[in-house]
Order: sequence, then C-alpha cells, then structure tokens
Amino acid sequence: MQFFLEVLIGGLLSGVMYSMVAIGFVLIYKASGVFNFAQGSMVLFAALTFVSILERGVPFWSALLVTLVVMLVLAIVIERAALRFLVNRPPMTLFMATLGLSYVIEGLAQTLWGAQVHGLELGIADEPIDFHGIGISQFDLFAAGTAATLVVLLTLLFNKTRTGLALRAVADDQVASLAVGIRLQRVWGVVWAVAGFVGLVAGLLWGARVGVQFSLSLIVLKALPVLIIGGFSSITGAIVGGLIVGSTEKLAEVYIGPTFGGGIENWFPYLLALLFLFARPDGLFGEKNIQRV
Amino acid sequence: MGATENLHLVADASDPLLRVDHVSLSFKGVKAVTDISFDVYRGEILALIGPNGAGKSSLLNVINGVYVPQEGTVSFEGRALHMNPWRSAHLGISRTFQNLALFKGMTVLENVLTGRNLFARSSVLEQAIGAWRVRREEEGATRRAEEIIDFLEIGPYRHTAVRKLPYGLQKRVELGRALAAEPKLLLLDEPMAGMNPDEKQDMCRFILAINREFGTTVLLIEHDMGVVMDLSDRVVVLDYGRKIADGPPAEIGSNPDVIDAYLGVAH
Amino acid sequence: MLYQEAGQLAVSYRSARRIFRLRQDRVAIMLLLAAAFVVVPRIGNDYWFSAILIPFLVLSLAGLGLNILTGYAGQMSLGSAAFMAVGAFAAYNFQLRLPGLPLPIGLVLGGLSAAAVGVVFGLPSGRIKGFYLIVSTLGAQFFVQWVFTKFGWFSNYNSSGVISAPKLEIAGVDFSSPSGRYLLTLTVVTVLTWAAANLVRSGTGRNWRAVRDMDVAAAVIGIPIFRTKLVAFAVSSFYCGVAGVLWAFAYLGTVEPHGFDLDRSFQVLFIVIIGGLGSVFGNFLGAAFIVLLPVLLDHLAATLLAGTVDPGNLENLEKIVFGGLIVFFLIKEPDGLARLWQSFRERSRVWPLRT
Repeated sequence: MQFFLEVLIGGLLSGVMYSMVAIGFVLIYKASGVFNFAQGSMVLFAALTFVSILERGVPFWSALLVTLVVMLVLAIVIERAALRFLVNRPPMTLFMATLGLSYVIEGLAQTLWGAQVHGLELGIADEPIDFHGIGISQFDLFAAGTAATLVVLLTLLFNKTRTGLALRAVADDQVASLAVGIRLQRVWGVVWAVAGFVGLVAGLLWGARVGVQFSLSLIVLKALPVLIIGGFSSITGAIVGGLIVGSTEKLAEVYIGPTFGGGIENWFPYLLALLFLFARPDGLFGEKNIQRV
Repeated sequence: MGATENLHLVADASDPLLRVDHVSLSFKGVKAVTDISFDVYRGEILALIGPNGAGKSSLLNVINGVYVPQEGTVSFEGRALHMNPWRSAHLGISRTFQNLALFKGMTVLENVLTGRNLFARSSVLEQAIGAWRVRREEEGATRRAEEIIDFLEIGPYRHTAVRKLPYGLQKRVELGRALAAEPKLLLLDEPMAGMNPDEKQDMCRFILAINREFGTTVLLIEHDMGVVMDLSDRVVVLDYGRKIADGPPAEIGSNPDVIDAYLGVAH
Repeated sequence: MLYQEAGQLAVSYRSARRIFRLRQDRVAIMLLLAAAFVVVPRIGNDYWFSAILIPFLVLSLAGLGLNILTGYAGQMSLGSAAFMAVGAFAAYNFQLRLPGLPLPIGLVLGGLSAAAVGVVFGLPSGRIKGFYLIVSTLGAQFFVQWVFTKFGWFSNYNSSGVISAPKLEIAGVDFSSPSGRYLLTLTVVTVLTWAAANLVRSGTGRNWRAVRDMDVAAAVIGIPIFRTKLVAFAVSSFYCGVAGVLWAFAYLGTVEPHGFDLDRSFQVLFIVIIGGLGSVFGNFLGAAFIVLLPVLLDHLAATLLAGTVDPGNLENLEKIVFGGLIVFFLIKEPDGLARLWQSFRERSRVWPLRT
C-alpha cells in the first residue's frame, strides 16, 4: 500500500509538471483556437537561454529577467512574422504552421546555444522527505507549489483584469471581439508572451529535473493527451488532465510495465486519451461544440 | 400511428408519401417544434411557411434525420422509421440547405456527381485498377449529371470550382446535387433566399418542372408569399413551433390566425 | 504557344475523364517514363540511385499515402512512419516464415498488414472529428515503435538489433544492385501512383473529398461516412506500408524500428504540405524538395561558407529552413508546390499572352 501511494504521489507530482506545459497550450488555444505545437520548442528555447546565460556567470535573477525578455521578443516576432498572416485559416493549417515554427525555434535554439546537455541547478535539494513513511521528493513539491502559484496568478489575470476579459472575449468569438474594438494583435501578443513565460517556468523546472536537452521539446507530445482529457480550453482541465496522465502513466508503468519489459508510459496516455474522447469528446472541462445545421 | 417498424399498409393513391406524426423537438429545454402533425402526398408541392424562428428548418432536419425528435414519429411510404441522414438518402429523400452545404473543394460537375453516389456499384479495388465496369459507371453518372446541369442551365460553369460562383448559382448547384439522387421527396430549405426576382423566376420554373416532369414530391420552406401562392398545392403554417394552419393556398391566405402570426399579434 | 490546347476537345465522356487530357501532357509523361525506365539506369551512378532517387521515390509514395488520408479525406495523421514500420516488419516476417515467398507477394502482404493496422487506428474516426483524431495516429506512432522494439519475435530475436533485408529477387532476376533497386522501386511507385490517380478521380475520391469538405452534407446525400473514412485509412496505410517495405528493403537494406520514428512521420507530413494537400503529383514535388534540399545546403555550405559551418549546425540550419518553408507555404501557397506548378502550366497555355 505504501509503495502504491509512493508511486501515485510521484506520478501526481510529475503530472503537475505536465499540467504546467499544458497550461501554456490552453492559453494559446483560448486566444487563437490553435494547438500551438511550438510550445515545446519555446520551453526548450527558454531553458537553454536561461542556462546558457547562467553559465556565462550572470546572476540567477538577472538571467531570469533576460530570458523573460528574450521570450517576449520571440513571442512578438512569431506573431508578427507568422501568425498575423494566418488569421482565418482552418485549425489544421494553424497546427501545421506551429509545427513548422517549432522546427525553426528548435534549430535556432541549438544553433545559438549548442546541442549538449546542460545541467540546471535551482538550489533545491532532491532528497526525499518522509511523510508518514512515504518518500516524497522535495523537488516535486517545489514544482507543485510553483505550479499552484502560477495557476492562481493566471486565474487572477483572466478573471480580474481587463486584459483577461479581452482574452476571454477573443477566445469566444474573434470577429465579435474585433467588432467591439478589441485589438486582436495586442491580445495575441499578450497571450504568446504569457505562454512564453509559463513555458519558461515549465522549462526551468523540467530542465532541473531531467537536464536541459533536446528531448525537452518532446514533452509537448505528452501535453496532447493531457489537453484532450482535460479539455483544450480550460486551465482547470489542464491541471486535472495533467494529474490524471501523470499518475496513471506511472502506475501503468510500474504495475503493468514489467510484464512487457517496460516502456508502457510512452503510449499509455494516448490510449487513455482515446478512451476519454469516446466518453467525453470535449474533455472533462472543455466547452461543448454543438454543430448547428 | 405507433412507432412500429415495417408497418404494412395497403397501397393507396391517397396514402401520404410522408407523415409527420405529433413530432416535438427541443434543444436543451428550448422547444423548437411542439406536437406537429401533417401529411405530404405523392406528387404535390407543399409549402412550409411561418415567421422566422417558427421551427421550419428544425422540422426539415427531423424529417431528414439530422435531428432526432423527443416525441413523435416520421413515416415515409407508410413505414415509421428511426431516421438518420444516410437512411433518408437511401429511402429517396434529398434536400438542400438554407446556408448552402456544397463541397467547396470541388467543381460544379463533381458536386453534382456526388449526388449519384447512391447508384455506384463498383468496389474500391475496381476503381483503383480502372476496371471497365468503373468506366461505364462513371460515364453513365456523368451523363446524368450533365443532363441535370443542362436542365438547371449552369452548363458553362461545370468545371468551375463552386466556391468561385455567385450565391444564386451555388444554390442551383446544390439543387442539382439533390436531383442527381433521383429522389422521391425533395426537401428545399428556402431555395429562393437571397435571389433577385429574375433568379426566383428561374428557380420557380425549375421546381415546377421537377414536380411536373419528374413527378418528384416537393416540400419547401419559403418566405416569399407570391412564390408560395403560385407554386404550392398545399400550405402548412408554423408559428412558435406549432402548426396553426394546413390547407390550400387560397384558404391560408385568408386565415385570420395566419395573418395574426405574420403581423405579430400576441396570442 | 507550344502548350495550347486548341482543337483538343473531349468528344466523349470517356476522353474527358482521362488522367492526361491534353496530348502534350501524354507525350510528356511518356517521355518522362521512358527516361526514367530506360535512360536513367544506363547513365545514373550508384550515389544518385542509392542516396537520391530511391529515397525520393519511396518518400513520394509515403507522401501519396498520407495525402490520401489527410489531403483527400481530411483526416489528420501523425502516424505515417508507424504504418511504414508495420509494412516493413510484416514483409520481413512473411518472407522469413514462408520461405520462397515471391517478393511482389511480400510487398502486397506488407501493405495489407499496414492497411489492417491503419484501419484499427482509424476506428476512432467514427466518433472523433478533426484535430482530436491526431491522438489516435500519434498513439499509433509510439505504440507501434514500442511493439517492434520490445517484442523480439518481430526481429527474429536478433541480438544485434539490426536485421538485414532479404535479397531482392523476382523470378530469378536479381535486383540488388543500385540500378536494380531503383528499377524495382520505380516500377512499384509507378503502378501505385497510377492506381491512386484512378482512385481519386472516381467515386471513392469524390466521397473522400465530400467527407473532408462537409461530412454532414455528405451523409445527407447518402455517402457512408464511417466506411469512407476507414477506406481512406486502409488505402493510405497500404501505401505507407509498401513505402516502408521499399524503404527497408530497397533503400536501407536493413529492417529496424529506429528509422520509422516520429521524425519520419513529420518528414512525410512536410512532404505533403510542401507538395500540396489533395494532389497526386504534388507528393513528388514535395519529396524531391525534402530529399534535395539537404544536399543543396551541404553543397552551399561546402562551397560558399566553407569551413564556417560545422556539420552539427548544418542540421540545425536545415531544421530552420524546413520549418520556415512550411510556415511560408502555409501562408503564401497553402496548396503547395502543386498549385505553383498548376499556375505555371496555366500561364504557359496562353503564353505568350497573359492570363
């Protein structure tokens, strides 16, 4: 039982990390209706930039600030150079465009900062703390705490500020938003910047956990099942989805995995997502799409 | 009439082709239509009229199987069935849509040809190898499609992508696609919407010809009273989801309830 | 002037339906095929066969497969490489366990196995629409790769993990030389392309496009939506499967799961986007692009920027260029190179006048 709880909690905490990446997706989906494949490469870019600046001797908080600015610039460039021209296209086109963008960002990141793995120290010890006989990683707890803070901040942003209101309007109906005078481009800029920031946080945490390397951008692929389960347009969904994916994936790997020699966690979340799609096509918290003829 | 499948009735000239029986439809508590019953007889043109939001399109969608009613049944040729779009097509019901439902990625000819899919018999493998049977089928289908295109006078545009055509012509293409299936019952959802008087004249001509020459039964939703009076054999009037009148055009024109409905008198 | 079609009117429905309606097109394609089948094997060198032509042909085929599913039937897929893998491993296993199995049969069996797997992963399309469907083929990608890596049976319990592809021999004729492999690949690709061209112009092709454009309307006119989608998955996966067999047997010479990973799926998707969704010819343009661009970049780096760019960075540069081109094409010409080619042809029809 204890072992089960350990695996479960480990999975949940790992799920929190997925959630954070997923939140970045949700933000962009809410504003532009597109699944931003480039999010993963943005995470990688953020982490690589941060780590490389750190390695050159810049102090922690300054490095963070610089990276934030860089991400902001990146977001603006993406919006100006690419997204602006793809306004009325079908979602598939937008998705493929972000796919292309992800390649560009990845290539850029590795050209600028090199392809080797960088270690990242955030100053949190990875010793487990004992909680009623169950070992919980301190780092995972820190990550969970950060995620919670992030969620609170985002919720405040969405619900209590004018920008947040504009964001929600755009998510609902782009044309109508234009009609009431909301500056679409500005909103998108804000959204991508925020997504970039979330990406940065996620990137740092993931980077500290597994090292900053290329495979970081593969995490985006795990975000897809998370979003499908939780719903593409809900931050709560992203969190719940992340927790579900994280925990079930670990549990499956530990309990079913050995029968097959492991590796189950690579595809298990997709199976789960498929099952969810049959039961709840819009995700647990997503908006229902009713087709009117 | 109960909702029993395969109800066998004695074939009778006065037997309705379509019977809508106490149909009610609601969307999440909002009632679109309430307790509607009427018949459509073989060979007639029936107009479905009523103010906006009266539930006409929803009713058409029920007949066609796009929506499933909470109550009531739809019987076609005497059999009460669970309708779905595919089944309605194979039973011989074709339709057009209020907001056009053309295949934007194809040409006029290709769109009309899709209407012939009900008659296709060749398998995927035969099509892949270009078997002789496939060529015959395609030629036959193309011949029929071209006849319809000529009938609707859109011949010059046969190889044009439909998305490049003006609205009026697109509506004709959609009609052509519906006709290609050689339907017994043709459901037209506001076929004249957005047309100028000349275009409406042409459309009336086509609908009359379809009815008189091909014997197709027509059920159409229409707002233009002139068209309704000229074209239809009978009229059913809806208001707020309920049927308020049913009869020949002359009768309907002088029915006080109908006049009230259109003038917006509260009841 | 040269390309005008004056006087070439179709006088029967049959002649209007031909794949190449204009005489100039027919002549051109005949010349092209003659060149490909007869001339190239004589003048080509091994490098061109092995490193350029064969991968170009195989990737065109894979692109064609994906195009059928995504471009014509409108079902998004990120699992092309998985179906290629199924084809390759299936063909290998059939060849292994049924000694003396003729190579063409092995090819077909590989394709059919991939088609079966494709249908299974296409089943969700009955309930799930649009973008969400990606999760099925993406899952297929990871699942299939996992199966072939974990279960040694498929690799005949080979401890080194690298299986040699079987010898390429049909009716006693040896095809294992570079020009032989090229001819084999060319034949298969030509036949399957012709079949695909037939399919997309016939009822099945129209049904696919109808489902893609507006599935509610398609249902209303009597098209069986689910069956149409499954047929698309089956045919598409068949093509990818055969491409996979050729990739392993005729190009690499080995059968391994590594080359059929997500990057390969992305590569095939790029071919389809750049080449043009909903086009048969476009896949060849896209594949040529994908295969030749790295070669071109290598040359440029070697000559113009000699010494300043190291190989690792070259790969990154490729990534940037590819990604950028994808975005560029999606913005400027979403119908890809095929549309550009089409425009070129239309202008040459009236040349020296302007359209």
